Order: sequence, then structure tokens, then C-alpha cells
Amino acid sequence: MSRLDRIGERATRDLARFLSRRGFLGRLGALLAGGAALPLLPVARASAGSSSREPAPGEPPAGEPAGDPQRCEYWRHCAIDGFLCGCCGGSATACPPGTEMSPVTWIGTCRNPADGRDYLISYNDCCGKGFCGRCFCNRNEGDRPIYYPHRSNDINWCAGTSTNVYHCSTAIVLGVALEAQPEK
Amino acid sequence: MKSLLLMLLLSPLAAAASPEQDYALQCRGCHGPTGEGVPGHVPSLRGVAALLETPAGRARLLAVPGVRGASLSDARLAALLGWLAREFAAPGAHTAFVPLSAEEVARYRGTIQTLR
Repeated sequence: MSRLDRIGERATRDLARFLSRRGFLGRLGALLAGGAALPLLPVARASAGSSSREPAPGEPPAGEPAGDPQRCEYWRHCAIDGFLCGCCGGSATACPPGTEMSPVTWIGTCRNPADGRDYLISYNDCCGKGFCGRCFCNRNEGDRPIYYPHRSNDINWCAGTSTNVYHCSTAIVLGVALEAQPEK
Repeated sequence: MKSLLLMLLLSPLAAAASPEQDYALQCRGCHGPTGEGVPGHVPSLRGVAALLETPAGRARLLAVPGVRGASLSDARLAALLGWLAREFAAPGAHTAFVPLSAEEVARYRGTIQTLR
């Protein structure tokens, strides 16, 4: 028994001489912190990417007004008349929570300054809550008076939803337009 | 050779005038990507082929405000109506109608008396 004690005592003393307590704690801390940080690294990179000002493929740089979906000058907003859903809890292509996208919509064309081509843009309204009230934008390029109902953006396009209450407008790219809309 | 040159010159114009594109800009906003419409609000386009089978049906179709007021030439409107009648016809439906000509569209569009 005493022999076992001696062996244990010597091993512990040798270890204590060889390994400083501060050094051990430091290395353990580095290992724990490093281990915790390692799996986070790709996530951190992904979120850094989304918040950076990198332009979406085929769009103007996000730092420019024509490349910022929350600005009226955003290239897809050329014929919009309403509140931008990107400022209302949604995005340029999705309705805010609690609203419903209207199936009937105004469709026009906008020229993308990044590639100089015209695109078909669908301005689906989001409906079911009162006016959003943020980022009002009224550009009306190609808009016609209301007696051309299919070419007028003054119409409340929420007519196709369960409620007629207008909240905000999206700007969804449907595809490349072979030519600009006839009204332009 | 001259006609070949003319064809080459005109081909980009021909490519630009596509019934599908005209549908997207003139009709799709209300009638939807597949012509289904919105029940209770916007009629479906499934029955357009049947309308094109009788003179009265053809006149009726050209009297629809969205059709009559479309920002298209008579020739492009004729091509668009023929395209959508076939494209959105119910499965198995009869689509052997006589296609609309630009002249016929012009006649229906321009003469109120024919729109009874």
C-alpha cells in the first residue's frame, strides 16, 4: 500500500514540476474556447457574406441606389406605386408576416443597369394589414391612366385576395423581356 | 440573296414579338401564369378556344375590354389570342378553330356595330 502511495506521490510531484498550473489552465482555456469557435467559423463567414455590400448576381452594386432593394431608386421599382415590402418586414420578393400576396398584379418591364437588358417585373401587392407607411415609392414609368385598367398601377391590386386592405408592394422578376413594354 | 438579307435583318424583330411575352405583359397580371384566373374575380381562359369557333364568339372575345384595349398591333393581338387559346385549353378540348387574322381583329376592334 505504501509502495503504491509512493508511486502515486512521485507521479503527481513529477507532473506538478513538469506542468505549471497556469500553463495548464491557459492551454485548457484555449482548447475550450478554440473548440467552441471552430464550428462557428463557417456560420460567421456566411452571415458576414449576407450583410456585406456584395451585389446579387446580375444586379447593380448594393452600395448604389439602383442596387438597394430598400430604395425607391432600386432598378426593379421603375413602375411601382406604393410602400416597399422590404421596409415593412418582408422583402422585394416576399410579403411581410400576416399579409397575403395578391394573385392579380400589375406586370411591367424595367431595364437592369447592370446588364442593360429589360426584365418582366411583377408588382404583387401584399394585403390583409393596413398601410405599411414606410418607404413610399411612386415612379410610374409606363403607367397608364385608370381607364386602361390592365396598365394602371393606381388600381388596388388586392382585389384577388380575401381582403382588399393594401399593405405594401413587391417587385418580382418573372424573366427576361424580349422588348420593353409597349407603353414605354 | 436580297430576300435572305431581308430575312436576316428582320429576324431579331420577329424574335422580339412573342405571344408568350405579350401574354406576360398584357394578360398574365390578372389571368395568372397558366390562364387559370381567380374564382369570383377573373375568368379562366380555358374556354377561349371554344369562343373562337363561332363568329359571335370571336366578336365577343374582341369586345372584352382588356383584349380590345391591349397595347398591341392587330397582328400581334391575333397571334396572342391564338396562342393562349391553344396554350390554356382544357385537356382534350377541340382547338381546331380558324386562327384570327390581323384584318379580322381590326374589324372587330374598330367597328362598334359588330360587338353586339
